[in-house]
Amino acid sequence: MELENREPDETVNYTIEHPLKEFAWLMGGVLGLILVMSVLLGWFAGSVAAWLPFRYEREVADGVAAKLRAAKPTPAQLAAEKELTGLAGRLSAVMDLPADMQVTVHFSDDDTINAFATLGGNIVMFRGLTGRLKDENSVAMVLAHEIAHIKLRHPARALGRGVAVGIMLSVISSNVGRSAAGNVVGNVGTLTLLTYSREQERDADREALAALHRLYGHVGGAQDLFQVLSTASGGESRLQVAALATHPLTTDRIAAVASFAEARGWPLSGDRTPMGSGLAAMPAVPAVPAVQAMPASSTK
Amino acid sequence: MSSMLVSNIEVVPGKRVKSHLGLVQGSTVRAKHAGKDLLAGLKNIVGGELKAYTELMQEAREEATERMIEQARSIGANGVLNVRYATTAVTVGAAEILAYGTAVILE
Amino acid sequence: MDLILDYFELLLTLILLAVGFFAGRYVEKRHYISIRQREKQFRKILTFSARYPPNMVEPQDSRLVCGTVVISSDYFKQFVAGLRNFIGGRFRSYESLFDRARREAILRMKMDAHKNGFALIINVKFVTTSIGGGTTGQQGMPCFEVCAYGTALRPEKTRFPDKLNPI
Repeated sequence: MELENREPDETVNYTIEHPLKEFAWLMGGVLGLILVMSVLLGWFAGSVAAWLPFRYEREVADGVAAKLRAAKPTPAQLAAEKELTGLAGRLSAVMDLPADMQVTVHFSDDDTINAFATLGGNIVMFRGLTGRLKDENSVAMVLAHEIAHIKLRHPARALGRGVAVGIMLSVISSNVGRSAAGNVVGNVGTLTLLTYSREQERDADREALAALHRLYGHVGGAQDLFQVLSTASGGESRLQVAALATHPLTTDRIAAVASFAEARGWPLSGDRTPMGSGLAAMPAVPAVPAVQAMPASSTK
Repeated sequence: MSSMLVSNIEVVPGKRVKSHLGLVQGSTVRAKHAGKDLLAGLKNIVGGELKAYTELMQEAREEATERMIEQARSIGANGVLNVRYATTAVTVGAAEILAYGTAVILE
Repeated sequence: MDLILDYFELLLTLILLAVGFFAGRYVEKRHYISIRQREKQFRKILTFSARYPPNMVEPQDSRLVCGTVVISSDYFKQFVAGLRNFIGGRFRSYESLFDRARREAILRMKMDAHKNGFALIINVKFVTTSIGGGTTGQQGMPCFEVCAYGTALRPEKTRFPDKLNPI
């Protein structure tokens, strides 16, 4: 019997390969998989949520309306809100809103240049935006856009998608571990939520244009709205990457409005209806606008 | 006091087991040192050996062995055979080290 | 400036990844060179996992020898392992880590034997423990201990005296 220690092949127990190669494969695979999964799952959950009757959404959003209502509205605010509600009623009529869908408009005496539609058919219009608009047509464009979101069940879809993708991501990141890789996974998921939202914005814009045309016979005022939004955001000088933004760039939207209307033969200008006295009476906005961070559910 | 013979084989070469005295064990639970741990956290970016931890584990293992020997001595053994080590992470950053073996009287 | 703040977390991750990658690779390369060099140096200390001394050896003295090492992963390996955990398959980034740790532990055990004048280790066993846990205790730090131990023998007579003499 011979007693010796021979040298075994040391490369058996580990793989000789450039680590970056594995890294690239894994990164691509994981990100791709998450992207596909969150798009599919988000679409599915969104569709299910949109298919549920509106009254369920209304029940879920019971507390939302109470929260949005101003604590002690002044008579001037109430007058403005009443005018907006009236305008919303006329728009709803031309937009073929389903019978069970009710739209509630809230007027917020705030400088924020924004308006948004949320669960339960609640719409919030900020003085910061309405005060900057010159006529009823532009206000109608904003309102119609928000009503379109409600009609297309976007808040419900967003909720369903958010819940589904959120659950998926939390399951995955618990799998991946609370590591840096987990953070990356989370960020990719959110990206799909935003891009989905952009399509909804475009659809809402188109619905709104159709409503404007039916109500006034022309789509004048739509572009004024985007002009206001464009100047408010400093002419897009802020670092706004088109692919990442929730909303399409306003300059793109102005062009989109023009081409969409032209394709259907809708006049881009016409006689403007003056703003109602209640809205017009609201105090003028400060000369230098304070651009605030928009809430996540905002749909300008 | 005669020295204790510790081995992880079952037969001590050149010696005869006179009597088996049963299982003896020594264990210690050690947690990492806060200061050393901070450095270990930084080291974790770069990777490689954590020397402070190696020392710590070495010490802990020696302590466990020492305790096992103490137990063997207390029952009048002069050797511990078939010694095994077992280690378990108790919580994050703390580990139990166990040394156990058979206490014997050799002649 | 806004951009840097917005993507601070991502930027930090990227920097840590780069540092982890280059530093980790350098450390690993150096460690392997050292391992190979010492393996050659201590080749004459024989290790076996047999429970009994080889029959041609008549040992006269014995001693428990032990070599231990605590090794941790670098940030890059940890990141890749996180991704791998999701997809499944072979954790290539950790394989070399375990390989290094185990070979280092054997080497240290051999050095322990050598220091005490032994040239043969039998009944070699391994114990591996994950220690884990970072400074905050939140992030699981892949960090583990490998211990190799066995009984070193000093042979009195052997048929291969040249082989079993301490180097």
